[in-house]
Formats: sequence, structure tokens, C-alpha cells
Amino acid sequence: MIEKGKIWKFSGVILIVYVIIAGLLIPLKSGIESVEPSYGNAGETLKIQVTGYNTHFKEAGNSLRAWLKWDNGKAIAASEMVALDERRMNLTFSIPNNLPEDTEVQAVTLLIDSETDGTSVLPSAIFLTQTEKVLATEEVPWVKPEDFSNNGQITFPFRNILGETIRNTYFHVPLWFGMMFLFLFAVIHSIKYLRKGDAESDLKAEAYTQTGIFYGLLGLITGALWAKNTWGAYWSWDIKQNMTVVALLIYAAYFILRASFEDPEKRARVCAAYGIFAFSTLIPLIYVIPRLTDSLHPGSGGNPAFGSQDLDNTMRMVFYPAVIGFTLFGFWLSSLQFRYLRLQKLREDLD
Amino acid sequence: MSRFILIVFMSFISIFSASAANADFMRSIGKIYVVVGVMLLLFLGITLYLILIDRRLTKFENQIKSDE
Amino acid sequence: MKDLHFILLLLRKEFLLEFRTRSAISGIFLYVISTLFVVYETFVKIQPNVWNTLFWIILLFVAVNAMVKSFVQEKGNRVLYYYSLLNPSHVLIAKIVYNTLLLLVLSLLIWGLFIFFGDNPVKDMGLFLLILFLGSFGFSVTFTFLASLVAASNQSSTLLAVLSFPLIIPIILMLVKISAHALRLIQDTAVSGDLAILVAIDLLLCGVALLLFPFIWRD
Repeated sequence: MIEKGKIWKFSGVILIVYVIIAGLLIPLKSGIESVEPSYGNAGETLKIQVTGYNTHFKEAGNSLRAWLKWDNGKAIAASEMVALDERRMNLTFSIPNNLPEDTEVQAVTLLIDSETDGTSVLPSAIFLTQTEKVLATEEVPWVKPEDFSNNGQITFPFRNILGETIRNTYFHVPLWFGMMFLFLFAVIHSIKYLRKGDAESDLKAEAYTQTGIFYGLLGLITGALWAKNTWGAYWSWDIKQNMTVVALLIYAAYFILRASFEDPEKRARVCAAYGIFAFSTLIPLIYVIPRLTDSLHPGSGGNPAFGSQDLDNTMRMVFYPAVIGFTLFGFWLSSLQFRYLRLQKLREDLD
Repeated sequence: MSRFILIVFMSFISIFSASAANADFMRSIGKIYVVVGVMLLLFLGITLYLILIDRRLTKFENQIKSDE
Repeated sequence: MKDLHFILLLLRKEFLLEFRTRSAISGIFLYVISTLFVVYETFVKIQPNVWNTLFWIILLFVAVNAMVKSFVQEKGNRVLYYYSLLNPSHVLIAKIVYNTLLLLVLSLLIWGLFIFFGDNPVKDMGLFLLILFLGSFGFSVTFTFLASLVAASNQSSTLLAVLSFPLIIPIILMLVKISAHALRLIQDTAVSGDLAILVAIDLLLCGVALLLFPFIWRD
């Protein structure tokens, strides 16, 4: 498959073009960027200013609704809403004397809904302090937020720290998936070599491994840039970052091993055996160890991949093609590498 | 050819230093420039890969020429 | 039964060879003692969490040095002839068993010297002994197999370290975590699960090594 056929190369490129266009053009869903001030007391009239992202507060007009919601489901509606411009709005809430939970400081979620933008949610938007229980029974106008509007637009979810960088899911994450597929193919060709002794399989394994390392390095570099601007540091000693470096070290050693043998047949055999052995240690490394510790990456603590809350259906429509596209592109790069290696071997055989 | 690699390498450095020195710029408009940076790094990486293959092929061609 | 017979025979050969050429084994023992002495000379007092890491790192380096020679003697035509009569799996199993025992002795020696020079931070002896065994087995599988790969090259000791250290990381991470529990540094609620993962990694590597070894053995 690696050398013949144009369709898979072509479809890889088409998929990546689709991913670039869809991944960059589809807008982010409107969301709440910040709330000022983010704390208040029980019993007071709380005035807050909300800054939204991709919102249309003026345009929404009368369809705007806002709530403060506790984790137990109780909520109060805003008593006054003044849209300053499309992105800023003043909200007033009458906080009840008796808060519905027992703790001293309670985090409440801010919900804003309008026909133009749909629903935006900011969890733990405001921290309310309740110093003492007031005994007097009061009528609190508890409401249940419902009848959420749906503006029917196709959007990517808004996440507060991520913002627009959620689009990097299509340009950074597929590199890791591509790397694993390339290493998998390298192992398949190593097994083929050990079974059949065909010299070309060995060269294919080498080519796939080289491209896999290249994808891994690209993933590390792009990930570092992304991490700097969301988690605050290029390198956070996160377990997944470390495991990837270990995977790259394992395959860097593969090339040192290759370089240290003169006899091509012996080299091919030893390297194929090492490649298979190394890949089998990658399985605990990538799938077992990250489950054991906390990670900044999504899906830590039980799930090595993305959970359902990390990828919504719109993102899936772009993410899966991105994985396939980048993997096919990686195969193309490997095929160039392989054809070069084959020519070189032909030449060596002629000499 | 090593000059090209140097250029690519310098671009990597400049993207990273730009993101470090000018955090406000990188974080404006919902951090969209981080996405730009990631895509730029991707393109530069693929360019570097092509340069390496190109260099190997040139060496190979020269060898064949000198044999004839 | 026949398999067991051959393996025991090969195991006996390993022991005999080791005792006949005592220089290698005494070199390793001296290596252990001087490392421990240097460690205590420089550290003076070792905190339990440092002790935990240090113990496994020292064992790792001892293992590399002890195991790199595993296949050095297996050269020359006469040995080759003997081995053409044998099943390669038997050879590998014998080597792994021998190296596991050797590493177990060495790790007990390291532990003993740690107690002799300082004190004993290990609270759960049974668990610690169990992971000493599992760790020795995992190290022995990885290093023995990789030593067979690099035996043919000429800078085998550097190469063995370069190849094995990244591969040993899953095992050593599990070992450090479980032994931290044995030292009561952390309260690990899932010790049995972690032990199961460690056993699974050991067995996986052992199985893959046994599958691949015949291909390397062919010349």
C-alpha cells in the first residue's frame, strides 16, 4: 500500500484541507468570559458586570434571560438586565438571606440565555458568603431555568481557559494519533520481516519509525506553544508529556541501535526484534500509567482518551477526519522516506 | 542548504519568543494567535522534513553523477 | 518434563560458569558496596522518600552492569555448536531465571547495606520483598533480552543503557509507587491493582521476549 496508489494520498490531503477550513471557519459558541465582581454576600442586592465572548446582548433585546444557579438545582432570576454593548451587560440579583446550601462559601453558576446566542454557562461564576443563618422565613422566588433557546448555529463549544485555542484539537491532537498509527505500522512491518525475511519490510519499518518520531516532535513543539498560553508554562511535567518523551527516547534508541551494526541482515533482525519489544512496552506506558496519576490533559483519572464531555458532536465531525487525514499524510511522508531508503539499498547492492 | 535549516530553526525560536515576550498579543481575540502559531509550527516542521529529504536526494544524485 | 530438565541443566551451567570465573561476580558485589558507601558518605542522612527513589536507581545501575555480560560468553564456534542442539527458549528462560536470582541477591544485599549504614525505613516487609522479586524479574527480562540484542555490537554496555532505560520506565514507575506504599510514604488504596499491573507488564515483556528470542538466536 505504501508505494502504490494515489487515492489515499489525495484523500489525506483533501481531509486536511477540510479540517483546516472547517476547523477555522466554524465559530465558537457564545460564552461568558468574565464576571466582575465574582463574590457577594447573602441578603444583598448584587450588581455584576458580565463580559461575554461572541455574544450579542444588544441584539438579543427582550429575549435575554439570566439566572444564578446552585448545584442543588435551585436558581434565582436576574431582577434587572442592562446591555451596555454587544459584549458587556450589567445584571442585578437580589440574593436571598438564606442560601440553599449549608456551607459558608457557596459557588453559583451563571446562566445566560437568549434567542440570538443560545445558552451560555459559567460554572463557579460567583462565590457567595453566608456568615449566619437568618431565622426569619422569607419568600424566595426560586425558579427553575428552562425553555433554553437554541439558535440552531453550528458552533464549537466555548471553554473559558481555552477560548479559540480549542481549534488546536484538530492540529495538535491528531499528531499523537498519527504517531501511534505510524509506530503500529512499523511494528507490523517488523513482524513481517521476522516472518518472511524480506529486506523491504525492514526499510518500511525504518521509514515509518522516522516519520513517527517526526510527528512526535511536532506534537511536542505545538503542544508546548499551546500549553504556554493556557496552562502557563511550556513544560508542566504532566504525565502525558513525560510519557511521550519516553516514547520518543525509546525510538531514538532504535536509530542508535541501527547505526551500531554493520551487517545489514543482522541489523535488520536485531532492529525488528527491538522494535516489537519497544512497542509492547509502549502499551503500558501510554494506556496504563497515565490512568494512575492526575493529568492536565483531558480524560485523566480513568480514561486515557477523550471523554464524552471533552468532544461534542460538532467537534467529532472535524476531529475524526483530522486524525485520518494526518495519519494518511504521515503514510505519504513515510513512503517518500521508504523510496529513498530503497534506492540507497539498491545502490549499495550494486557496489 | 544548512542556511534553510537555520531559517526554519530561527522561525521556531521567534514564534516561541514572540509568545513569551508578547503574552497580551498571543492572548488577544480569544487566544486565536495560539492557533496561528500552532499551524505555523506545523507548516515549518513539514518544510524541515522536506528539506531533509531534498538534501539526501541531492547528495544521492551527486554520487550517481560522479560515478558516471 | 524434558523442557524443565534442559532449563535446569542450562541453569546449572550458568552457576558453574559464574563461580569458575569469580572476577565478574565479585566485581558486581564490590560495585554495590562502593556505591552504597559513596551514597552514605555524600548524603549522610537519607530521608525515606529519597531512600525509596535511590534504592531503585541503584538497583537499576547494578542491573545494567551485571547483565551486560549475559551473552558475552556465547560466542565462538564450539559454543555455537552446543547451542544449535538446544531450544533457544530454554536458553533464554535459564538466563532470565539466573539473572532474576542474581538480582534478587544483589537487591537484598543493597537493602542489607542500607540497613547496616543507616536504618530501615521499610514498614511493610512482606510487600517490599514481593516487589523486590517482581522488580528483579522485570529488570532481568528486559536487560537479558536487550543484552542478547546488543551482544553482537562492539559498544554493548553504552548501547544497553541507552536501549533499556526508556523501556524500564513503566516498571520502575510502578515499583517506586508500590514501594512508597511499603514505606508508608503514601496511602495507596489500590495496591493490589498496581501489583496486578506490574505482574501484567512483567509477563507481557517476558512473553514478547520469548517469542522474539529465537529470531535473534539464529546465528
